[in-house]
Amino acid sequence: MHNPLHRRFPRELREETGKYLAIFLLLTLTIGFVSGFLVADSSMITAYNESFEKFNIEDGNFAFREEMNRAQRKKIGNAGVQIFENYYADRKMENGSTLRLFRERSEVDLADLMEGRMPAAAGETAVDRLFARNNGIAVGDTILLADGTRLEVTGLVALSDYSTLFSDNNDSMFDSVRFGVGVMTPEGWEQAAGREIRYSYAWKYESPPADEAQERDMAEDLLKVCGAAGELEDFIPRYANQAIRFTGEDMGGDKVMIEVLLYIMIVILAFVIGVTISNTITEEASVIGTLRAMGYTRAELVRHYMAMPVLITLAGALAGNILGYTLLKDLCAWMYYNSYSLPTYVTLFNGEAFFKTTVIPVCLMAAITFLLLERRLRLTPLRFLRRDLGRKKQGGVIRLPAAIPFLSRFRTRVILQNLPNYLVLFVGILFANFLLMFGMMLPSVLQHYQETVTDRLLCRYQYILKVPFDVMDDTHRLRSFLKMMEYSEAIATENETAEKFSAYTLRRPAQNGTKEEEILLYGVAQDSRYVEGVPASSEGKTLVLVSSAYADKYDTSAGDEITLEEIYEDGAYTFTVAGIYDYEVAPAVFLEQKALNRTLDLGEEYFSGYLADTPVTDIDSRYIGTVIDLESATKISRQLDVSMGKMMWMVDFFAVVVFFVLIYLLSKIIIEKNAESISMAKILGYENREISGLYIRPTTIVAVLGMIVTLPPLTAAMQRILKWMMTTEMNGWIPFYLDPKICVIIPALGIGAYAVVALLEYRKICSVPMDEALKNAE
Amino acid sequence: MFLELKDLHKAYGQGDSRVEVLHGIDLGVQKGEFVVLLGPSGSGKSTLLNIIGGIDPADSGEIIIDGEKMSGMKERQLTLYRRRHLGYIFQMYNLIPNLTVRENIEVGAYLSREALDVDDLLKVLGLWEHRNKVPNQLSGGQQQRTAIGRAVVKNPDILLCDEPTGALDYRTSKDILQLIERVNQIYGSTVLMVTHNDAIRGMADTVVRLRDGRIRDITRNTSRIPAKDLEW
Repeated sequence: MHNPLHRRFPRELREETGKYLAIFLLLTLTIGFVSGFLVADSSMITAYNESFEKFNIEDGNFAFREEMNRAQRKKIGNAGVQIFENYYADRKMENGSTLRLFRERSEVDLADLMEGRMPAAAGETAVDRLFARNNGIAVGDTILLADGTRLEVTGLVALSDYSTLFSDNNDSMFDSVRFGVGVMTPEGWEQAAGREIRYSYAWKYESPPADEAQERDMAEDLLKVCGAAGELEDFIPRYANQAIRFTGEDMGGDKVMIEVLLYIMIVILAFVIGVTISNTITEEASVIGTLRAMGYTRAELVRHYMAMPVLITLAGALAGNILGYTLLKDLCAWMYYNSYSLPTYVTLFNGEAFFKTTVIPVCLMAAITFLLLERRLRLTPLRFLRRDLGRKKQGGVIRLPAAIPFLSRFRTRVILQNLPNYLVLFVGILFANFLLMFGMMLPSVLQHYQETVTDRLLCRYQYILKVPFDVMDDTHRLRSFLKMMEYSEAIATENETAEKFSAYTLRRPAQNGTKEEEILLYGVAQDSRYVEGVPASSEGKTLVLVSSAYADKYDTSAGDEITLEEIYEDGAYTFTVAGIYDYEVAPAVFLEQKALNRTLDLGEEYFSGYLADTPVTDIDSRYIGTVIDLESATKISRQLDVSMGKMMWMVDFFAVVVFFVLIYLLSKIIIEKNAESISMAKILGYENREISGLYIRPTTIVAVLGMIVTLPPLTAAMQRILKWMMTTEMNGWIPFYLDPKICVIIPALGIGAYAVVALLEYRKICSVPMDEALKNAE
Repeated sequence: MFLELKDLHKAYGQGDSRVEVLHGIDLGVQKGEFVVLLGPSGSGKSTLLNIIGGIDPADSGEIIIDGEKMSGMKERQLTLYRRRHLGYIFQMYNLIPNLTVRENIEVGAYLSREALDVDDLLKVLGLWEHRNKVPNQLSGGQQQRTAIGRAVVKNPDILLCDEPTGALDYRTSKDILQLIERVNQIYGSTVLMVTHNDAIRGMADTVVRLRDGRIRDITRNTSRIPAKDLEW
């Protein structure tokens, strides 16, 4: 015989449709999103990993000042590599963005056509899908270049060597708004490229390296060969190519955070269900006592009361997975496609995702409800029969002074009676506010950064010069000397605002959970007009100022010692921090120019860049490595805004749903728990409005208080989270900023959601019948 | 002797607030016997029933049912003991609100391998017409009939009734008493009924009067008065 108690389940489901539907929907939504994310994530990562072979991605690329001749090709080809022409030209578009045009590739770095068709005639191009979207370009549109050239867009592609749109490998962040890539037919490219052709060559090793160490060795050997073969302008092995590697390194990084959010949500829901079960046990105490007296075991009853929450979780998990594999997977993939130029992906079943979104939530729910029930049902049958479920003996009632008005005392009693409910409600509000704040903070931080960065720059333009590879060629010393002379003349400027400085990049090694980061050292004159107050260093001690971004990011203060390392060779330098320089744009170190030159053994007269307030126009662009101006300083914030800012509305929406459901469930429990008292109050002559004042207002007080008091700790938490994101995942620095509007919007949204719940609960109070109080007295 | 109680003691509370509820109860009950426990409020009759029912432990003393000692039983053994041997009827019916009459009775049947036929029992109890109703669609008497059905369906050795008519009117009370009488006669269950209604003693084989936690007297009726003839 089946356990007859099981027949209660469908009826309970019907009677408690609102409650179970709310839990089911929240679970489905949460699990669906997480499942979708994990499925999209793993499918995308697989697509990305497979793209190396599928699209024959290069092992590296280098660029010469001139097109290679046959002898050069032969020389490099003899070094065990295959060389492929991959010439390109950077063309400015009318809207200021840069479009890097390649000839269509047929052997290496192949393109994945995602929409439309590949170009077939001159004047046609297929451009990167993400760049096109960010610039409002669709198939069939015409791109207008700054020189008036018109290019018809025939297709949208993903170039396998540009899964992340870095225009320059030295950039700290990519920019998929202002920089994009496109391919053209060879004839079309000849016409559109103009004169600024970059002679870039991709290489593939004839015998692929066994591991990264061997890859590095092989690349170093090849660098020597290339340096000897011609005027090398760029040399980027694949392992150092951000445009290829960044996506792979970044993908999967958010997985842990998303999973943690899921489990927090499940735990909160389990506690909501726990409160519900607790309430049911109180209501059914005498039935439980009777069943126990009849011979039902505790385990049977634990299983009985556990069944519904576990079944609902299972149903939510299954529905969530279906949603995750269908609709939400595409939404999550869209988030990736929002950041990266990934190729087309194929949805793959993900056993790990299923385990994490189904098995773990169900087990978590089962474990929490089991522990709660096991504890609650430990009482003797007699105590259940006597409805004596409290752990404390009578006499432990908190005294409330008679001076407090009766209604206030009444409400206080309601709060005290429902403390566990309110505790869960408080945690729920904390969680929902956390999501809301996270969703709202990021766009506001980015917007604020972009609005104020102009005032934060050291100067309007920073030029970091680049020494051509052939200047450093020690195998052809004479040629190298001549090139050096040429270089020294070429980097002089007439610009009156320009001030020489020494720039040198060292790396701050990964430590204490922070990511390794390249730090720019500014060696400036003591009387610099752009960086004031640089301390004088002595022979034995190098004093520096660290930027406020550095100090904030790495918790550094005056008196500390910082050690930075060489990037490509051995060597470490220790500096003493003399103070903090107010510069929030990037983590940087400022010191006397001669101290920098001496410490790094660069030579007394050495300088490597200019700080200026007006553009330096008289230096050949090939000698300029990096320009830090307003546009480059806002690259990080712009990219974050594009890739994350736009999905924040989803986080906001989810937060409001969580908030709504939690308040609905918990206030519903409170009303149900007090149905008898409400009924009795009605019999006594209280009006619905007055009863609402007694039973809804306490929830209002807790909800509104919760919304307000959680803001300060959450603000502090957000500050830490942003810092954690910056230190563990990103280069650069964006200072925390909380828009005061957020502190108004969050409670307003919460109160709005609560108002709807309060209305529903008011209707519930109105519907409590007067015979409710009489039922048990029969 | 089917049920033996030996020197049962029970007290509640500690120190000054300690109240001795049972002071050494000795009682023997034969199989199939109908025993009425009579006494005023606070005499200890419900406590005695709860101890026999294994839902409240005695402080000392012995309970032996069909040769099996209850003292020293662990919680799980006590549960199995209740499952195998006992049926319980309470003053407040304690039915499961979202199960029908039939299903509430099945809740009891589920616990026994030798359960009575539920349909037959529904007819015996006069609940056949109401079998698909849920408790709040029933009168108090019908609810108590359902509770009786739930208790007897597993064909228990002992039926423990704690003031089964305490919440019912005269006519309904008589109906319920008749029903319990029939259960005793048809199924041979041993019945222990706690009541403060003196008139009910006539329907019992044995009447145990309790006062202040002690057995005041035990009377054995030579002939039982049918429940329908009881008057109060």
